[in-house]
Amino acid sequence: MTKKIDYKALIQADKIHGSVYTADEIYEDELEKLFYSSWVFIGHDSEIKNAGDYITREIGRSSIIMVRGKDNDIKVLVNRCSHRGNMLCNESKGNKRNFTCPYHGWVFGLNGDLLDVSYPGGFDKPLDSLNMQGLVVDSYRGFVFACFKEPTVSFDDYLGNAKKLIDRSCEMSPTGKIDLKAGWIRQHFDANWKMLPENDTDGYHVNYVHQSFVMAIDSQYGEFVGAEDSIKGVVKDWGNGHTEIDFSAGYVKPLDWLGSTLEKSKTYVDNMRAAYGEEKADKILFDGPPHACIFPNLFLGEMNIVIFQPTGTTSSVQWSTPMFLEGAEELDFKLLRQSEGALGPAAFLLADDASIAERAQKALLAGDPWCDLSRGLSRETKDDDGVITSHMTDEASNRGFWHHYRSVMLGDN
Amino acid sequence: MATVSHEVAHELEAFIVQEARLADESKYQDWEDLWADDAVYWVPLREGDDPTKTVSHLYDNRTRLATRIRQLKTGYRYSQVPISGLRRVVSNYEYTEQEDGRYTVEANFYLPEYSIQSIHDFRIWSGRVTYQLSRRGDSFQIHMKKIVLVNGAEPIPTLAFLI
Repeated sequence: MTKKIDYKALIQADKIHGSVYTADEIYEDELEKLFYSSWVFIGHDSEIKNAGDYITREIGRSSIIMVRGKDNDIKVLVNRCSHRGNMLCNESKGNKRNFTCPYHGWVFGLNGDLLDVSYPGGFDKPLDSLNMQGLVVDSYRGFVFACFKEPTVSFDDYLGNAKKLIDRSCEMSPTGKIDLKAGWIRQHFDANWKMLPENDTDGYHVNYVHQSFVMAIDSQYGEFVGAEDSIKGVVKDWGNGHTEIDFSAGYVKPLDWLGSTLEKSKTYVDNMRAAYGEEKADKILFDGPPHACIFPNLFLGEMNIVIFQPTGTTSSVQWSTPMFLEGAEELDFKLLRQSEGALGPAAFLLADDASIAERAQKALLAGDPWCDLSRGLSRETKDDDGVITSHMTDEASNRGFWHHYRSVMLGDN
Repeated sequence: MATVSHEVAHELEAFIVQEARLADESKYQDWEDLWADDAVYWVPLREGDDPTKTVSHLYDNRTRLATRIRQLKTGYRYSQVPISGLRRVVSNYEYTEQEDGRYTVEANFYLPEYSIQSIHDFRIWSGRVTYQLSRRGDSFQIHMKKIVLVNGAEPIPTLAFLI
């Protein structure tokens, strides 16, 4: 880094400087501080159900492997042979007994330990000096997070209130477990990665970016695009950069979020009431799943799970998969079609979000570099736990993202 | 399953060429009119995917196809405002006739897109397309169009035009 980046000046309470989306040195600094030094979401344990199952993911420029070992333990390993740096897995998922490098035949166990070196006669080092690089791993209700370095913030402190958001996702299932097995759509954006989490908890854009969808079809989103004082949804800043659009106050009947009714989804409703009791089940069925971003790269997108992957200063990839519910397999077909309707390059919603983000990426280079972020500053409220709530069209959620981003980038966190 | 006569193959190809032109030129209503009531318009991530178990880029029945067209026609579908420049080449046709009289046509396609909604970007789409068609009047109707992209399981950009 040739010059120190003044994040205090670039990110203020009511505005942010456009260079946070466009400057290469800021992108490099983010990789270092957010993606290589802090907790990031990797995947869900339902993606690797059996010993030897693995998936590969990209964190920053690093390909990594999440694998379930013979002892059922989940490891997150850098996808790189410790010998000459070749990639050990080049498939997105699979099952292996060990990782064998195609270059010179070095063999690593599922836990990353170097087990065998071909033609060992000429090799003098102890095997355990060249194990695969492992990340620090922790998980909450099957959501696996990892950190490249010894984390400076404990996993519990990092998640903070996000545990409540994950609880709400899991409690959509009568068994309390989600199952990610439908495959991942990956959508390329020619836009900085931060526009994705920002946009996903921006309640202000719905009536504009998505007006073609609102015009074309009746959906639950119709309840969130009326006059300002008729919109009952709220945005929330849960702290630690975790943010939400809470639609629950705007829903008018149970299962609005599923585009269904108590009668049409009777099996699911009965199983939920049996699992949680009628009162709690009915609240879950009314309020629906969270629409919340967990800093920096996970989005609990109602009945979808979404990952944000930065791929450059001006490019990113959004991963999405429907959130299947264990014990409610009868919903799978509906959830697949709902996911395709909302998320991905051909979807009614995200296709337009991508074009709008890409237009912003281009226009941010023009003229006055500042972006205003003041909406709702005078009417947001803070509860005893420090959670900030405001009108759905307010920027309280985005301010929460940026406030935390600034503290991490300044090294305060 | 039977192969088709030269004459029928020629008719089927002419229909697909017409369908391709309507899609290329974003003639939304004319294109929608080609579809049968039991329509399935499908872009899976990979060949062999089961749409009841696996997520697809799109998997439209007739109702959702109509919604898609209505959305494009609003003029506010920003991912197609302005519409992309599109000119596809469809080739390597293989024709079969089913026992129920429907036709299956498989072909390769090569589709250059000039995307002008945000960044101006020249893109290439390619893959295998499978049609299920039947006769309607003096032409055909589409029961299914399945498009398997060569890179469907990789990150792909906006796909809001008619593929």
